[in-house]
Amino acid sequence: MSKHILGTFDEALGSLRNDVLTMGSLAERAVALASKSLFSRDTDSCRSVIADDEAIDELEKQVDRDGIEIIVRFQPLASDLRSVISAMKISGNLERVGDLAVGIARRTRKLNENTAIPEIPMLGEAFRIAQEMFRDSLRSFGGEDEALARTLKDRDEPLDQLCKNFDRVLTEAMVRNPGQVREYLSLAIITRNIERIGDHATNIAEDAVYAMSGRDIRHSDSGAGK
Amino acid sequence: MPATTETTETYVTAAVRSDYIRIENFSFYYTATKVLHDITMEIPERKITAFIGPSGCGKTTLLRNFNRMNDLIDGVRHEGRILVNDQDIFDPDLEVISLRKRIGMVFQKSNPFPKSVYENIVYSLRVAGQNNRAILDDVVERSLRGAALWDEVKDRLHESALGLSGGQMQRLCIARAIANQPEILLMDEPCSALDPIATAKVEELMEGLKKDFTIVIVTHNMQQATRVSDRTAFFYLGKLIEYDETKRIFTTPSNRRTEDYITGRFG
Repeated sequence: MSKHILGTFDEALGSLRNDVLTMGSLAERAVALASKSLFSRDTDSCRSVIADDEAIDELEKQVDRDGIEIIVRFQPLASDLRSVISAMKISGNLERVGDLAVGIARRTRKLNENTAIPEIPMLGEAFRIAQEMFRDSLRSFGGEDEALARTLKDRDEPLDQLCKNFDRVLTEAMVRNPGQVREYLSLAIITRNIERIGDHATNIAEDAVYAMSGRDIRHSDSGAGK
Repeated sequence: MPATTETTETYVTAAVRSDYIRIENFSFYYTATKVLHDITMEIPERKITAFIGPSGCGKTTLLRNFNRMNDLIDGVRHEGRILVNDQDIFDPDLEVISLRKRIGMVFQKSNPFPKSVYENIVYSLRVAGQNNRAILDDVVERSLRGAALWDEVKDRLHESALGLSGGQMQRLCIARAIANQPEILLMDEPCSALDPIATAKVEELMEGLKKDFTIVIVTHNMQQATRVSDRTAFFYLGKLIEYDETKRIFTTPSNRRTEDYITGRFG
């Protein structure tokens, strides 16, 4: 798209977008470290995820401040308005993904203090899907790839199903191992966080579609809708 | 005024027409220069329709055609038709004065007559031979109330209109325009010379006026168009580029040129 007559408007929009992309990179790194901490029993990674979350939180506030300033100074319309609103909404989702990674890291740190739970590797597939969904949601926003963004909605359902199935596995394991109920409950919460990362990836993709085309695909059956 | 019909017990609002003003393949020329190109659009009754576009795009020229103000310019001609409530406004049998009674106009710069507030309102009625004091008093109060100006000037009705503030003068011109109870109110950048408070008062007034009048406003202020209008038409180089619901034009316009104009990428 061509530049605005007002160069400062382009600069402000560019800065807002860069902050969101930086947040995305930090959140993606946090999710990757959370995964490593869980599957490799790497407690150092847990500490990094927890420590790095503050930067994501600060960027969320920065994006809100910048978004409000753009609205006040430039009164954006059409695609500009959509990109500001979407950036602010996506930043909220990224902050939540950061928190979910922290939640996984905190639970994993506790789990790593005890004997390994044999069911943990069974969660690998769900975590992989959630990570891929999250990465693709960021790529769709960063690369303005509407077709990729529209795939996210349909990919969330299999992830939800995997997590549900794993919950059943955990319930049965708790019955068999009543002495490890606390650990299995932690794993159930981790599972829930993984499923929620998929939900936030879907939200980010929906906001990216809105920014690109103005189409609101939320609450429709699939990303192909509307 | 095309508003209500009385029944035995209640007033029933007549159905609102979506094509109160119908423009059909309308082109307009200043001598050899074609300034409007084959415009076709329908303007709904008792709604506010905004015309936007860069200077020289033809929006004011089209507006001024609705009450045939361009007739006053030498060497103009047109092709196509404009119908107001199904009546062709270029019909040779139509009296222009009767058309202008049906279509009030408010200009960019307020232009009160150098007379009292009262005489500004009743001027056209007096010209038409109406001198009944009670009727004139009633028109003055109704028009000034309709223009949200009554409370501010009711004690100064016989003082010069030129002593009013800019915002009050513009609302006086609106009061004068509605004194004849027109069907349509044309507004050509009515707030461009007003401060934000006076602008807000005129915009609030427009919201009330559309219950009774079909309003067409030309504005360069995008935010004003988004605030006050129901539908927006974007013109560029004499062509109607896009015409849609205002909220759609300003959030998801269909045409790239509309997008570029309203986001400040050209113009």
